[in-house]
Amino acid sequence: MIARISHGMTLAFGEPAPMGFIRQIIRNKIRDLTVIASGMSLDMLIAGGCVKKVISYYAGGGFGVAVAPSFRRACESGELDVWECEEGILTTGLEAAGKALPYLPWRGGVGTSLPKINKDLKLIEDPIEGQVLLAVPAIKPDIAFLHAAESDAYGNVQHYEGPGWLDLFLYRAAKATIVQVEKVVSNEDVRANPWATTIAGADGIVRMPYGAHPFYSRGYYVQDTSFLRSYIDVAKDQGEQLEDFLTRYFFSPTSHEEYLEEVGIKRLLSLYEY
Amino acid sequence: MNCTPQELMAVFLSRELKDGEHLQVGVALPVPEAAVRLAHIMHGPNMELIFLGTRMNVHHLESLPLPAFGWDRRVVRWAESYSDRGHRFDQVKDWNKRVFFIGGIQVDPRGNTNLIGIGENHERLKFRGPGSVGTPTLSTHVGRYYIVLNQHSARTLVEKCDFISSVGWNSGGADARKKLGIPGGGPKYCVTPLCVMDFTEEEKTMRLKSLHPGVTREEVELNTGFSLVIPNSVPTTTPPTEEELDVLRTRVDKTGILRGT
Repeated sequence: MIARISHGMTLAFGEPAPMGFIRQIIRNKIRDLTVIASGMSLDMLIAGGCVKKVISYYAGGGFGVAVAPSFRRACESGELDVWECEEGILTTGLEAAGKALPYLPWRGGVGTSLPKINKDLKLIEDPIEGQVLLAVPAIKPDIAFLHAAESDAYGNVQHYEGPGWLDLFLYRAAKATIVQVEKVVSNEDVRANPWATTIAGADGIVRMPYGAHPFYSRGYYVQDTSFLRSYIDVAKDQGEQLEDFLTRYFFSPTSHEEYLEEVGIKRLLSLYEY
Repeated sequence: MNCTPQELMAVFLSRELKDGEHLQVGVALPVPEAAVRLAHIMHGPNMELIFLGTRMNVHHLESLPLPAFGWDRRVVRWAESYSDRGHRFDQVKDWNKRVFFIGGIQVDPRGNTNLIGIGENHERLKFRGPGSVGTPTLSTHVGRYYIVLNQHSARTLVEKCDFISSVGWNSGGADARKKLGIPGGGPKYCVTPLCVMDFTEEEKTMRLKSLHPGVTREEVELNTGFSLVIPNSVPTTTPPTEEELDVLRTRVDKTGILRGT
């Protein structure tokens, strides 16, 4: 998976965040990325030094912190470019890419500062009724990285109980889609319920049990809230403690399995009940 | 007063909400969350609650533990659907039935709000906000919305927002939204720990509607960064009834988030 990524690419991350991929990207010191991501997983990519530009609609923190701390620092110091948008504009741009159109119109954002601070969003007069709308350019990720429950060896991906809100937009828009899955299943398993196949032919799948940790994985484990809280606690000050945290969980483990060992079996097995 | 300002805000908002309405609450808004759940119990058995993308009716429950995160039925166990299954913006034509709540790091007298940041230069903000989430689209389309602030301060209530992420009444006038071609009903009230404000009928500029018990108009003026329209006679916000407060404390806000405990 890492061989497909080069510095400066545009990468999109689904929901829940494919943390196994994100850890590999940070560990391999991929630089100057443009990312479509949000919240704490975005914050970790920024803390890891991978991000130059973010297509951003939400970077909240949680646990008493209103704004994701690394995102906030990088914005306020001027080192991060922000392609300011919101959920409706984002999905419109992704749809335009999937439909091979240069843009699609959207209304949310008309009258706001968004077209002023994001010059790629243009106010247009629609040719049918003469309404003023936003033209949202196609957003074309080089690769969409997603997390799902299962796939067969042919890339027939099945999200447990359906996909999250953003995954299929990213899949349809991206030039390639790589999915980390909890479990690789047989092709017969997929054929037993083809309606459950959410992505028909991903470009790559990687078997990665517990791959969404510390986030949740539908049908498997729930969110590791205390782990996320400890990340916010160390990220708040943007200092040495954050460096130690990154070293311990992102840079030192040389594989996904080593990361899981560092987290510990006790903690992982505690995530099945809520 | 027999309750905290946050409890009063929740009770005030709950009385605003009508049975059968679709009520959408986003992340980190404890007062609107409590208001919706209180209204649902008190007078809204047919309400549709949309919390963090989770749609449900939970009128039958004695109390409702909040969905702590994400879309997993073990956590959000009363969900009937999740966020339109990836098509959350494909039916905005029906959002006139929806009521929404919005916070802001800045709010101006026309009810325009800012979640983007503070500073003159977007490339180097003095304070970076969390971002717009889906609020530009929601505030464009929903039937009406309420601006709800955790603090009433002159730093938040400002003459002019540095950036506008949700347009309220733009530069003013009852036809301001129509001129922009924005279909939703716009902001109805701005509710803070000190008072409730509405918008004048013609200019659509913010006006003091009621003062919370014990709060003076001078206190509001001092903590508002623009000149607020203040009528000669300003009523007091109706305090909660014993029943409302009892339901709020024993069935809605059991852990006391609004009581500051």
